[in-house]
Amino acid sequence: MSAATTINAVTTVSLMGVGGQGILLAAAIIAETASAEGLRVKTSEVHGMAQRGGSVRSTVRFGERVFSPVARSADVVIATELLEGHRGLDMLSPGGALVCAVTTCIVPGSVARGEEPYPADLPAAAAARGVRLIAVDAEALAREAGTARAVNVALLGAASTVLAFAEEMWQRGLAAAVPARILEVNQRAFALGREAVGSDDVAQRGGD
Amino acid sequence: MNPLNERNKSGYGVDMAQSLFLMGNEAIGYGAVRAGAGMACAYPGTPSTEILETTARLEGIHAEWCVNEKVALETAVGASRAGVRTLVTMKHVGLNVAADPLLTLTETGVTGGLVIVSADDPGMNSSQNEQDSRNYAKFAKIPMLEPADSQEAYDFVAEAFALSEEFDTPVLLRSSTRLSHGRGQVVLRAPVEFERREYVKDLSKHLMVPQWARLRNRLVLERLEKLRARAEESPLNVLEEGSIDFGIITSGVVYEYAREAFPEAWFLKLGMSHPLPYKKVAELYEKVSRVAVVEELDAFIEEQVRMLGLPVIGKEAIPADGELDQDIVRSALEPYLSVPPPERRPPVFPPAQRLSDLPPVATLPVRPPVLCAGCKHRSVFAALRRHKVAAMGDIGCYMLGADPPLNALDSSLCMGASIGIMAGFNKALGRKASVAVIGDSTFFHSGITPLISAHYNEADGVVLVLDNRTTAMTGHQGNPGSGLWPDLTEGPAIDIQRLCEGIDVRCVTVDAADYGALEAAIKAEIDAPGLSVLVARAPCALMVREKLGEILVDDERCNLCGLCLDIGCPDIVPHEDTVSITDGCTGCGLCIEVCKRGALSYAGAEDGGAR
Repeated sequence: MSAATTINAVTTVSLMGVGGQGILLAAAIIAETASAEGLRVKTSEVHGMAQRGGSVRSTVRFGERVFSPVARSADVVIATELLEGHRGLDMLSPGGALVCAVTTCIVPGSVARGEEPYPADLPAAAAARGVRLIAVDAEALAREAGTARAVNVALLGAASTVLAFAEEMWQRGLAAAVPARILEVNQRAFALGREAVGSDDVAQRGGD
Repeated sequence: MNPLNERNKSGYGVDMAQSLFLMGNEAIGYGAVRAGAGMACAYPGTPSTEILETTARLEGIHAEWCVNEKVALETAVGASRAGVRTLVTMKHVGLNVAADPLLTLTETGVTGGLVIVSADDPGMNSSQNEQDSRNYAKFAKIPMLEPADSQEAYDFVAEAFALSEEFDTPVLLRSSTRLSHGRGQVVLRAPVEFERREYVKDLSKHLMVPQWARLRNRLVLERLEKLRARAEESPLNVLEEGSIDFGIITSGVVYEYAREAFPEAWFLKLGMSHPLPYKKVAELYEKVSRVAVVEELDAFIEEQVRMLGLPVIGKEAIPADGELDQDIVRSALEPYLSVPPPERRPPVFPPAQRLSDLPPVATLPVRPPVLCAGCKHRSVFAALRRHKVAAMGDIGCYMLGADPPLNALDSSLCMGASIGIMAGFNKALGRKASVAVIGDSTFFHSGITPLISAHYNEADGVVLVLDNRTTAMTGHQGNPGSGLWPDLTEGPAIDIQRLCEGIDVRCVTVDAADYGALEAAIKAEIDAPGLSVLVARAPCALMVREKLGEILVDDERCNLCGLCLDIGCPDIVPHEDTVSITDGCTGCGLCIEVCKRGALSYAGAEDGGAR
């Protein structure tokens, strides 16, 4: 069982991605789900640069009582891009979980210009840290659901296997946070992500 | 002997017959010229007005009325960047207007010295409020000099410019009604010798985006403690020996009232009142058992003395409002001389402040924000890079034009500052050495007033308004250019071209998507004399989200020269010996325009070129 599943204490989920990938929406879905579960929730995020291709982070904290909206460490990191997944490892302790869209690579300018390399071998980096890696081909799942833009929610589906909310609460969270016109496609993406964990489509590795 | 200390003996030890009889404001103007200031900017305001009028009469300094105090300070920043020592003057409430540039200027510091005179009006002889400008010195973490009479006003200006350059900081000089509009003898001194500085492009100093501003802010905090150490040593802060067991800490013209009221007291006269020299304060307490702080308006010094744990007579005796004079001071403090002195413990100096831990050195590639794929305004930066002009940037998306590989901006200070900085920079250098780059919403926010000021003062320059019809960085809010209200219904929309024509500023509007026309227009405006506005129009790519076509790469023709990579589009990446176009491409075609080998083309285009 993941460290993230004890809801008596405060659980911290950190979402990491690239501007435009829907990090803020994914955070809102988790927050609404935790709220539906009857928990106290706080989130924090930085706006402004969020649509300009920069790194975006959002933090969701829930439990019976939550004080601070921020945290330097997380129980679960959800990364919608591979490099951001590498970055997210810094927030995790042994036993933590990294849910990462490992087939999504958005190359930053410095890498495109050949000034520095794109990091390699996330499974080894996660294992070295004792972090459970849930590696997801979220792009394929999102396309299967009907839109490549649903990488964020497909990944949430995978993350739902380590966050101890009932499926019904996730559905309520989705309905509360996702605009009605794109709810259905996101529900499909979520279901595909949730099913994928443990199936042949997803490789589970790491220190679990 | 330091001439600044001479006053503590008999007069100045000089022949007063050789002196000029000057108003404090005139003395500041003379002092600026003596200090080598080449430019003075101001908006008039009682009691500060005559300072600029004086500089306008004197040789060697260019004086400008600017449209307001914010624009005056920004214009001065431009002149300072160009290496020229620059004086800015205003009344106390004007400093509120200039607070926006000031609070970031403290981070960037100066090139040529920059001194801001704020003239307070205790008693509201000619003002709508009383405010104590010393609070801005604390707020901005910069030095505050407070001359007491016309001679000091003259002398302190040179000290202020020297401090400004030595500590890389703007310096505040506080006057007040009785100094500004009082007269006294001033002995003129030889011009100050100093080395004129040159502008050097340095984004880490001049482009206050978060990554640089965080680092500069640490320097500001470190600088404050270095300035405090200087204040401990400075000849501007003088401990004057007395003959009774009574000490007075004071600054500015109030010193004169207190000195006259208590000629036998000890004095700590603070010519540099911020940052407060704690040890000098403690030194006074070693000499006497009763100490009073005499200051007009706020308990600025008093609060800090109390923080040291030292007993002090302050605002319980000295009125917290209005003007003081020697009678008020005498009657307020005399009763304290006949009561037993208070008990006291040694002063407790505040410990050094801790700064936040520096973030760990990134081991992974960082991912800064970039101009979006398909942003037509990228063309402006691509074209601007070909010209040898500094580009004074502003706030918003277009700050991103400063980042590699575009490297197309020099500066960003605060909303609307680009135009004033450009005007001052070009005026100081006497040529069109810079242009301004500003978004449409920022232009409406604070770009119109500096444009008017630049036109009125016949400044050279080109103001490039990158008009994407929205306030994009914050999430596409309406503005007077789009006419959109918060509920997305339409109100009146204002046309920038017509607005400029209304103030007789030449303005051309070009389609930012037409790279050839844009490039030609930018060249024409940079080459033309005078001031003009160039509006580059194209909607925000995030609002349109259109795919204009698919771009193909001809691997045979591409030699990976890098011209297309240099435009900084996130969707062109090197791939083996050529480039490849990634998913986010909107087909804007700028890469096709800049490619010299015809290696890029729209799918289906006959000639392999742009449309």
